Amino acid sequence: MNLTLKIWRQKDKATPGKFETYDAKDISPDMSFLEMLDVVSERAQANGQEPCAFDHDCREGICGMCSLVINGVPHGPEAATTTCQLHMRKFKDGDNIVIEPWRASAFPVLRDLVVDRSAFDRIQQKGGFVSINTGGTPDGNAIPISKKEADLAMDAASCIGCGACVAACKNASAMLFVGAKVSQYMHLPQGQAERSRRVLAMVEQHDAEGFGACSNLQECEAVCPKEISVRVIAEMNRDYLRAALVGTDA
Amino acid sequence: MEDAVSQPSPGIGKVISRMHGSTLGQKALMAVSGIALIAFSFGHMAGHLQMFVGAEQYNTYAHFLQSMGGIKWAIRFGLVALTFLHIFSAVQVSMRNRAARPIAYANNKWIAASLGSKTMRASGGIVLFFIGYHILHFTTLTVGTAGFEKIPEYKLINGLMVDDVYRRMVVSFQNPLLAIGYITGVALLGLHLSHGIQSSLQTLGVLNSAYRPFFKKLGPALAGFLFAGFAIVPLAVLVGIIK
Repeated sequence: MNLTLKIWRQKDKATPGKFETYDAKDISPDMSFLEMLDVVSERAQANGQEPCAFDHDCREGICGMCSLVINGVPHGPEAATTTCQLHMRKFKDGDNIVIEPWRASAFPVLRDLVVDRSAFDRIQQKGGFVSINTGGTPDGNAIPISKKEADLAMDAASCIGCGACVAACKNASAMLFVGAKVSQYMHLPQGQAERSRRVLAMVEQHDAEGFGACSNLQECEAVCPKEISVRVIAEMNRDYLRAALVGTDA
Repeated sequence: MEDAVSQPSPGIGKVISRMHGSTLGQKALMAVSGIALIAFSFGHMAGHLQMFVGAEQYNTYAHFLQSMGGIKWAIRFGLVALTFLHIFSAVQVSMRNRAARPIAYANNKWIAASLGSKTMRASGGIVLFFIGYHILHFTTLTVGTAGFEKIPEYKLINGLMVDDVYRRMVVSFQNPLLAIGYITGVALLGLHLSHGIQSSLQTLGVLNSAYRPFFKKLGPALAGFLFAGFAIVPLAVLVGIIK
């Protein structure tokens, strides 16, 4: 199949970028989107051009490294799928494809389609963990957790931190990400001790990074490759208000 | 994280700074003030529906409201304060949101967002303008009062002479421009609330997985009901059902 790509090119953080157009000829419909970009980059390199930079790692949809806003949708047109798991058969021969980086002041573009997502790491470092200071490994199943609660925690924990929620949000808000990280521990007994401090600190860091506020449009839920529900945002909101109004101890 | 034992309780200053300074606090203030204003809107709509009962009922009701004295002013002050809080938090959040995405997408596709949710700023701004006009029109009698001077006072059954606000409403809405203007105003209020009702409950963390799908339907339905209840009065005057 033959495609026309409009790709965002940007030399570095400080230099303003612009779109450049590439012809992608003889692309196999069985290629993944990233393989297609590999081919286009190799051809550009063979012609003496600078290849296009984009993030990727596992290429099996679990690491959260790949990104790209493809024709206006983070991770492209297929629901619940990362860019690396998107295949070219989802496109038609002759399609024009616009490829942009995540757009958020908290995710500055480092080069071409690569953005700096370390803001997520800093939010995570504020409370996305359980502190266990000492002691041996606890016995398995020593603490009973209902199936329902375990499932809610696991669904939230399936967040891979790719940042598609920020990219899709009209306010570049990271509330789905923070909500997932907060909800994950909220449903587990081990998460209770630090519950209030966790939500206060993580939301505070979210704000400090310059992400926007949630307007409840639910675009994040629609593009999330792991189908995280906006219920995690409601849970985070409830916990934040309780912690902010009532006190810092759970 | 700090040691739990040494963690002091937050104190009122910290509570205020968190509610005022964080995205979630600002959104919560917007949601609470919005819900209070929605509650007022439903009461206001119920009051206006008494136009269908007749001049005696409506003028009695209006006179009752006017004779509340201090309570009336307390409610007015409260409404202004709530509106101010709602707008203040909306402006704060909007400014933050704009700064969060300095470069727009060349290509942007909506998947889940409703029309109401995408137009909150515009619908809210127009509704504010509409409310301003509405107060200047029926409360302060500053604008749109053509024909009001010819309306004599109304004599209630108990003999009390009161302002004939029923007649003022009829005279106003017999002007198609005013009637259509008011219907448009309440339509935009309905659009605003089609997102606002469910969004405020989500912001306050009230919605869980069981309630959310229900409120996603109930929110727009309540907004539609409010619109219909408000719009039916000018419409009934315009087509001559209320004379």
